[in-house]
Amino acid sequence: MAEEIIKLDDVSVTFQQKDKQVAAVKQVTLHVEQGDIYGIVGYSGAGKSTLVRVINLLQIPTAGRVEVNGKLLYQADGQQKKLIAAKSLRSERRKIGMIFQHFNLLNEQTIIDNVAFALKHSGLKEKQIEEKSHKLLKLVGLDSRATSYPSQLSGGQQQRVAIARALANDPEILISDEGTSALDPKNTIQILDLLKDLNQKLGLTVVLITHEMDAVKRIANKVAVMDGGRIIERGNLLDIFTHAKQQLTREFIGGGSLKAISILKKYQLGKLSADERIIQLTYVGNSVSEPILVKLYRDFNVEANIIYSNIEVLRGTPVGTLFVIIKGTSAGRIQALDYLQKQEVIITEIAEDELQEGETDNG
Amino acid sequence: MADLFAKYFPNVVYQGWTGDGGWLPAIGETLYMTFWSAIFGGVLGLIFGIGLVLTDEDGIAPNHTLFSIFDKVVSLFRAIPFIILLAFIAPFTKLLVGTQIGTTAALVPLSLGVFPFYARQVQVALKSVDHGIIEAAQSVGATFFDLVFDVYLRESRSELIRVTTVTLISLIGLTAMAGAIGAGGLGNMAIAYGYNRFANDTTFMATLLVLVLVMIVQLVGDVLAKAFNHKTAG
Repeated sequence: MAEEIIKLDDVSVTFQQKDKQVAAVKQVTLHVEQGDIYGIVGYSGAGKSTLVRVINLLQIPTAGRVEVNGKLLYQADGQQKKLIAAKSLRSERRKIGMIFQHFNLLNEQTIIDNVAFALKHSGLKEKQIEEKSHKLLKLVGLDSRATSYPSQLSGGQQQRVAIARALANDPEILISDEGTSALDPKNTIQILDLLKDLNQKLGLTVVLITHEMDAVKRIANKVAVMDGGRIIERGNLLDIFTHAKQQLTREFIGGGSLKAISILKKYQLGKLSADERIIQLTYVGNSVSEPILVKLYRDFNVEANIIYSNIEVLRGTPVGTLFVIIKGTSAGRIQALDYLQKQEVIITEIAEDELQEGETDNG
Repeated sequence: MADLFAKYFPNVVYQGWTGDGGWLPAIGETLYMTFWSAIFGGVLGLIFGIGLVLTDEDGIAPNHTLFSIFDKVVSLFRAIPFIILLAFIAPFTKLLVGTQIGTTAALVPLSLGVFPFYARQVQVALKSVDHGIIEAAQSVGATFFDLVFDVYLRESRSELIRVTTVTLISLIGLTAMAGAIGAGGLGNMAIAYGYNRFANDTTFMATLLVLVLVMIVQLVGDVLAKAFNHKTAG
């Protein structure tokens, strides 16, 4: 098991607003392993930005424990609060790169100076700082624009500069706070791929906050879903994707089960007879090469009626989802499901009550 | 040409270029007062303006007590009408410069009169720096001084030039009022030699010169503000 590089334990953040307290983050525990690309998704106001700001203490929590890169940054024992000294905090922060939704570059400095700014206290000589800044700009493919000002660059380019700046002090961790949310789809993909590349080449641990599930699907290996200041669900990307337990998680995953269920509801396809069941089949990669549905009928006398199918790409691996109504004797159905499981198909039975008119509709 | 001018502006010509009541000393006095009170008032205004932003709730060194002090001092001085301030702080002026009349004495009320105005302008200018930029700088381990100089002041410098221009122009207006305590300058020229002596041409000429001065300041300010602005593409 890889080393846990970020350890947030029971972290709470409460804001004092006039005379009422607003809890933005409630007792969240989040451990990120070295080399992870950890996606944190949730609607705005869920507390994800506040939570990740705790990692580099841009946001000082009100309770809990924060350990990053093996260093204890914050700990609260009851009323006693221990905070790392300001000077050490600054040097620890340099080991945690961060990029933002609106890039947040220094507008009045050229892009090379923007990168060099991060190296101001690195102990390097001026000449070395210049060399390293050029090297970093090369890494993100923008060295030719070194003397331009941020406003002369496109959004995607600005975010690249921000990445170069974030990487200036050779951090172990990169936090992206909605880093692709202000970009067009093409730039989004380029930035995400750059992050993935950095993750693979430099072993950079990435914490990715976003409200776009597509970003997570593309590069993350782990996902946490936040709502109301808590992490309501977390796990490996594939698990979350195929077996989301929470309604909100399903909403985020969108394309998959939620859509299917809402279609079923809308057209009242959920009304099953006694010998019918609705199941969700999920298969990864090319694990399904056999004509399984034909086999179900031939060998177990179970009819399978496809009502919804979808294919998604998770981290470059295709994942197929199939909703079918199977009809047959109880024994036949059990045998059929056994068989499917042997084919490495993940099976989820959809309970009938999930399909009745309820809180979700129109997907 | 000169004859024609003398015909329509007899009093302007009568004042002459040099000597007591001459145009050159008047212009010189206005420039002198504007310059020095801009320096003193400017430094004071910058200190208070920066202080207001840094110690504010969402600043980088939040401190409620200090913020209140900055805020109250600025508000108090802004609330006193300048013409009353001139008289009100006369004893203080005398203590500081040995006299309470004359051009140099006027620097005290001018500086005190302009600094709260400038402080508020600086406060607004610095507040225009996106909080995200400050956060980003903090995330790469910027120190307090980095944040003040490289982020707050540098990022807002075009805006600072703009508000300095506005302040200078309002300061030129104040120097005219300072004429009331015998500070001289173009304001004094317009009132004492023009209005009080029914020499409307003198008032007209003094006004014209003030306008020219204001326009030069505005022009230079605009050019500088534009040159130091890289926020928008172009």
